Amino acid sequence: MARSGSVAVVGVGHTRYGKLPEYDAYELGFWALKEALADSCLRFEDIDGLIVNRIPDYQRFCEIAGLNPSYVSITPGQGRFCGICIATGAALIRDGLATIVALVYGNNGRSGGDRYGGASDTYGSGGSGQWFPYGMTSPGAFHAMMARRHMELYGTTADQLGTVSKTFRDHAALNPSAVMRNPFTLADYHASRYICEPLRLLDYCLINDGGVALILTSGERARDLAQPPVHVRGCGMATALAASSFPPDDFWREPMRKAAATSFRAAGVSRNDMSALMIYDNFTPTVLFSLEGFGYCGEGESGSFAAEGHLALGARYPTNTSGGHLSESYMQGWALNLEAVLQIRGTCGERQVKDCAFAHYMAAAPVVTSIIYGRDPS
Amino acid sequence: MRLLPTVDGPDQPFWRALRHGEVRVQRCGNCGACRFPATRFCPQCRSETSEWHAVAPTGIIETWCIFHRAYFDGLDVPYTVIQVRLDCGVRLFSNPVGVEAAALRIGLPVEAVFEDITSDVTLLKFKPRKAHQ
Repeated sequence: MARSGSVAVVGVGHTRYGKLPEYDAYELGFWALKEALADSCLRFEDIDGLIVNRIPDYQRFCEIAGLNPSYVSITPGQGRFCGICIATGAALIRDGLATIVALVYGNNGRSGGDRYGGASDTYGSGGSGQWFPYGMTSPGAFHAMMARRHMELYGTTADQLGTVSKTFRDHAALNPSAVMRNPFTLADYHASRYICEPLRLLDYCLINDGGVALILTSGERARDLAQPPVHVRGCGMATALAASSFPPDDFWREPMRKAAATSFRAAGVSRNDMSALMIYDNFTPTVLFSLEGFGYCGEGESGSFAAEGHLALGARYPTNTSGGHLSESYMQGWALNLEAVLQIRGTCGERQVKDCAFAHYMAAAPVVTSIIYGRDPS
Repeated sequence: MRLLPTVDGPDQPFWRALRHGEVRVQRCGNCGACRFPATRFCPQCRSETSEWHAVAPTGIIETWCIFHRAYFDGLDVPYTVIQVRLDCGVRLFSNPVGVEAAALRIGLPVEAVFEDITSDVTLLKFKPRKAHQ
C-alpha cells in the first residue's frame, strides 16, 4: 500500500533543444539542473538525492556539479527509464532516503552521431545481431512491424497515423522551445518518404541534443518554495520483458492495464479526470497502442479515436501539447513530464490547456510506466 | 561487404543444420519448450538441460515491414522482413521468397527455403506453403 505523504515537482529546467555540438551530455544535464534549481529557488547544496539518466557516469557528473548527494543512482539511456526515475525519486522521498531529489537527463545524441539501426543497434536487450543478415534492425522497424499488424487486425490507416503526427506538429507550432514548428497537411505526410514501411519520416521522433531536469520534494516542503507544487499523485509500472525481442501479441496492453490501474488507484482519480495526456511518442503507432492500453479508447479503436480529433488542443484529451518527441524534442519522456508540470502550473501560454488539474504521462514499451500529476495534493 | 552471422557461436548447431536443409532449435530437456537463439537456461522452466532438436520447417507469418532506408551494405532497398512463428513456437525474423509484399497476410502459412550465401553460411528464408499440404 502507498505510504502517506505527498511528493511534488517543485522545479523544472531544460536546455535549448536542437544541435548543440559544443555541449556533451554531462553539460547538457548540468545546464538543465541549474535551470531547475533556479526555477525552484533551491541551491545545489540542497540536493540530497540524485538520479542521472543517459548521462554516462554519475561520479563524473557529481564532480562537474560539485555535488555530494546522500543517495545517487544512474540509469541507462532508454526512454522507458524516465518514468522509472520519477517513480523511484518519489519513493526515495516517501521513504525518507532523501528530501530534495534531482532527476537529471542529458542527451547529445544528435551531435554525438547516434544511429538507431545498423551494425551498432542494441535496441531492447541488444541481442538482435542474429537478425542483421536478414536486414532486420532498429526500433523503427520493430514499431513498423507492430503498426503493420495493427493495420491488418483493426484496419488502422496511414491517415490515422498521419493525424497523430500532424496534431503534435500543430501543438509544436505554439511552443517556442520546439525544434520543428512548421505545420504540415495530411498530403505532406503522405509525401514524406518511407523509412520502414508502413512508417514514414513523419512517424519517427526527432534526434536532437538537449537536457531536462526535475526537482522533487515532499508536499510539505514544497509549500515553502518558489513555484506552485505539482503533485506526483500516482505512479504505476509493469513489464513485458520475457521474450521481448519480438513485438508483443497484445501491443503491451496487459502491462499498460496494470500500470494504469496502479497509478489511478494511488492518485484516487480516473481517466475522466484527466485534462491532458503526455504519451511517449517515439513513433506514431506507440501513441495509438497507448490510448488502447491505458483505456482511453477500446481495443483496436485508437486509429479512429485519433482521427476524430480528440488529441488536439481544445478537444477532450489534448495530447503532447508541447509537440512531443515527434516535433518538440527527443528528450526520451523527460520533456513530456516537464510539459505536464507546466500545464498544471498554467504557464504554457498559447498552448495552455484550460483549467488543467490533472495530466497523465504514459510510456508503452517492454517497461511500461504511468504517472498521474495533479494540482492538489489529494 | 555483406554482414554475415556468427555461425560458430552458441547457435552453431542451428547454422550447421541449415547447411543440410534442416531447422534445429534448442529444446528444453525438462519441459520440452523450444527456444532460439541459444540460452543456457530454459526461460520457461529454468532447467539447464537441452538438446538441438530438428523441428518442422513450417510456420506462419505474424507481421512484416519494408525497409526503404539502407542500414547494411550488400542489402538493396527496398526489401521486406517478415516475422515468422514456426509451428514449434519459436519466432524468427526472416525474408520472404517468391511472394510480393502486397500478397503477405497475417497467418499466411510458410515453409523454409535454405539459401546458401557463402560456403559456410546458409540463411533461413520462407516461401508461401502450397495449399493442401
